[in-house]
Amino acid sequence: MKRLERRQARAGLGFVSPWLLGLGLFMLYPVAASLYYSFCEYSVLDRAHPVGLANYADLLRDELFWKSLGNTLFYAGLSVPLGLGLALGLALLLNSGVRGLTIYRTIFFLPALVPMVALAVLWLWIFNGEYGVLNVFLARLHIPAPGWLTDPAWSKPALVLLSMWGTGQAMVIFLASLQDVPVHLYEAADLDGASWWHKIRHVTLPMISPVLLFNGIMGIIGSLQFFAVPYIMTPNGQPARSAYFYAMYLYDNAFLYLKMGYASAMAWILFVLILALTLLSLRLAGRYVHYEAG
Amino acid sequence: MQAKRPLSRAIIHLILIAGSLVFLFPLFWMISTSLKPVEETMLSPPRWIPSVWRFDNYARAVSYGRDVLGYIPFYEYGKNTILLCVLVVTGTVLSNALIAYGFARLQWPGRNLLFGVTLATMMIPFPVLMVPMFVLFRHLGWVGTFRPLWIPAWFGSAFNIFLLRQFFLTIPRELSDAAVVDGCSELQVFRHIIIPLSRPALAVVALFSFLYTWNDFLGPLIYLSDQRMFTLSLGLQFYQSQHGGTEWHLLMAAATIVVLPIIVLFFFTQRTFIQGIALTGIKG
Amino acid sequence: MYRPLRYIGLALVGFLMYVGFTRSPAAPTRDGRVHISYWEKWTGFEGEAMRAVVDEFNRSQDRIHVDMLIISEVDRKLLLATAGGVPPDVVGLWSTNLASFADRQVLLPLDDRLRRFGISRKDYIPAYWDLCEYKGHMYGLPTTPASLALHWNKALFREAGLDPERPPRTLEELDTYAERLTKKDDSGRIVQMGFMPSEPGWWNWSWGYYFGGALWNGRDTITADSPENVRAYEWVRSYSRKYGVGSLQLFQSGFGNFSSPQNAFLSGKVAMELQGVWMGNFIDKYAPGMEWGAAPFPYPAENPELAQVAYVEEDVISIPVGARHPDEAFEFIRFVNSQRGMELLCMGQRKHTPLARVSRRFLETHPNPYLQVFIDVAKRSRPFSAPKTPIWSEYANEMNATFDEIWLGRSSAKEALAKVGQRMQSRLDRSLASQARRERGR
Repeated sequence: MKRLERRQARAGLGFVSPWLLGLGLFMLYPVAASLYYSFCEYSVLDRAHPVGLANYADLLRDELFWKSLGNTLFYAGLSVPLGLGLALGLALLLNSGVRGLTIYRTIFFLPALVPMVALAVLWLWIFNGEYGVLNVFLARLHIPAPGWLTDPAWSKPALVLLSMWGTGQAMVIFLASLQDVPVHLYEAADLDGASWWHKIRHVTLPMISPVLLFNGIMGIIGSLQFFAVPYIMTPNGQPARSAYFYAMYLYDNAFLYLKMGYASAMAWILFVLILALTLLSLRLAGRYVHYEAG
Repeated sequence: MQAKRPLSRAIIHLILIAGSLVFLFPLFWMISTSLKPVEETMLSPPRWIPSVWRFDNYARAVSYGRDVLGYIPFYEYGKNTILLCVLVVTGTVLSNALIAYGFARLQWPGRNLLFGVTLATMMIPFPVLMVPMFVLFRHLGWVGTFRPLWIPAWFGSAFNIFLLRQFFLTIPRELSDAAVVDGCSELQVFRHIIIPLSRPALAVVALFSFLYTWNDFLGPLIYLSDQRMFTLSLGLQFYQSQHGGTEWHLLMAAATIVVLPIIVLFFFTQRTFIQGIALTGIKG
Repeated sequence: MYRPLRYIGLALVGFLMYVGFTRSPAAPTRDGRVHISYWEKWTGFEGEAMRAVVDEFNRSQDRIHVDMLIISEVDRKLLLATAGGVPPDVVGLWSTNLASFADRQVLLPLDDRLRRFGISRKDYIPAYWDLCEYKGHMYGLPTTPASLALHWNKALFREAGLDPERPPRTLEELDTYAERLTKKDDSGRIVQMGFMPSEPGWWNWSWGYYFGGALWNGRDTITADSPENVRAYEWVRSYSRKYGVGSLQLFQSGFGNFSSPQNAFLSGKVAMELQGVWMGNFIDKYAPGMEWGAAPFPYPAENPELAQVAYVEEDVISIPVGARHPDEAFEFIRFVNSQRGMELLCMGQRKHTPLARVSRRFLETHPNPYLQVFIDVAKRSRPFSAPKTPIWSEYANEMNATFDEIWLGRSSAKEALAKVGQRMQSRLDRSLASQARRERGR
């Protein structure tokens, strides 16, 4: 027995060895290094020079840090619930046994496949205040249309709208999990004379709550790192920094102003924020999420 | 939950159709603009369907930049993107399958702890890793080459390890136990029993990593400097002008070409895709 | 079963791994010549003009071959490449980059080489030489110069009852002319603007200088909210207030791309615009037959001494730190800066040259009818350019955001400028502190 165990242990470590390297080199070392850099002034062209907590102190006093953070939280706060809501709504509709499920599913998933740049450029086009399709459409319906990307009040909502267009991935996951909900639970609810809203609230939602949690956490982590689309559509967060997001300021600090220490401090603050939000979600989940009890 | 009454079914259909139109519309617009003659691309009010269908926009989009650069960027970018995709997909599937096997089917000290750490790393935002990795690659002399964009894929990634491990756990023990009793080494069990049974899950990993690499923007942005080595997603930016003279119709044609393979791929592998997601996305 | 297939697959992957591992930016020495890489930003006819110079250089000798690459966002890419240890040998930047790049030791100082080959300030229009200098050292040489002038649409002047040959001379006249040149349609929408401080939007940080202000004192103090600057931006705001932010936004979003017939100025949507010497080409290309004029930008009537204020910038050519062939690189730069090379380049780009000496042929065959205006502007006694401080990229971005704030009426000029002044002062202090530390360490 002992020999078999040792054989397994050696094999196990052997199989996992690439990850040990990967984890060490590409995860743990960078995490430790970036923590160190966050306490330094570092331009990469020079040596790193320790400056204690100066970067963090500067960040707290940096108006642009707070602005970009605010913009990002605004974006996450809107796009995650709205995106998930839309995804779930579509999944529920598709799960009701309508014909053409495959077609609809493809159609809704398609936008999630488009590369960032193409997406950004396309929507830049659509959101144009004067001859963009969206505003023309709204004008037809006699709804006053904002300038979208040229209006500081509407640049973020425009981006939220765009993110909702890509909600297909979450929808597919929801759909798969909906199809896993045991039918007998619905039948029991029907016997009790439950309305469809009742069924959703008391059978569906609890049953898919783990997936809801998973998608929610993934959504939060993703939206807090929103970068490629605004980098192309609203460079420098124009107009008036209304669409300047945290990851953009981080990137500018690191690769434009060559303030890698400052950028590392920003990265760590983001990390702590994500951890906090994830733990918060898991704590809340404890009360609402049901795992399959059989 | 089945919708019973015909009225509710009709309403649902209506909503779905409306939703489909909204979702499809931007893509329709992209294709429509790609076929327009340049004068019609910036009309106000806009033209929905081009008066003339300029398929030659596609030819011009593909050869765009040849006079300016001396080579055809589109071909180069396409080649580079495919190269990276193949390397990343191969490395991802291979390494993560091996690693996940080690976590799922073998017992060894510290295994669960390491898996926990692995899960935790999924929460590390990319910006935390971005700068030190750049510095690391700089020391290695890898900046400006393709290496940072595919070599790390051969060393595993937390998300894929998680995905595959969950899947491997569902394969019945008896199968592998029988093989071990017959004298197979772990590697043989891996190769001949686990892998053949894991096609859907492996396909999902392959598809996702293909998609990710095909669309990756930030990686090439940071590590590639020679324009000749750019990828398609980075190269699309080239169509956006420096002064502000974007040739929209050509850009849309190029974008359509870039999106097309993905759509085609998805269409054919849909079922596998969905199956794989279903198998793993649920055990949050 | 599928054995051969598996081996083919393995071989293919192996091959791709080899390619993926070894592919790198073009190698230096082939065919006996030293190949040097040159990153430049220009495309279209401007790129062609430089290519002609590169070809001429390659033909004129057989030791060095210049490989020119067109790079978008070349300044960003240079930073990344230098930080990554793989910079090109020669790079074309903007004069506005020079200070921060020089300070961060991204560029090689050229003083020794310049001295050795006898190239000095007296060979140039002084303002253009000075743009390449930072803290007493030269970090590049000019390629193509720029100065600005007020361009006006003569046909629109005539329509509005103004003398098409007489541009506004003072800012007050500019405002009056602008009013007469602004047209609205029946529903009140703007269809033509006389003048818009937000167009083209490339120098939104510079308005203060025309009123006698400056963005810093040249050493250690940020002066964003000096009275002259506040006055300047209140003048800017007067336009958006007068014509309406919303209407202007709507009007502006209909502008086409810069290099197209739908350009705001070229399509007659804006009657007067502050632009550079290159504008003549864009007019020839996209609006041939347009009647236009160029004159020095107006000054405040009560400060005639400010008529000597002139904005200068230029494209520069430098050698990055870590370049593999700096000597060959400099030889190329010298060629570009010779009278022959420079006139070839500047004629191709339809600009004037930064050199002190100009051939008569150049002046006589030059397509831009207002060339002399731009040359005279560049020789004025109060030239200004982007502040030569390492924090300039940040400052520039911040000033653009501040311009937006003021233009959109979200805060008053005084407040917005005070805020940006404070932010930048702390940035500047920190930058000066690290500079001092680095100097001590050296």
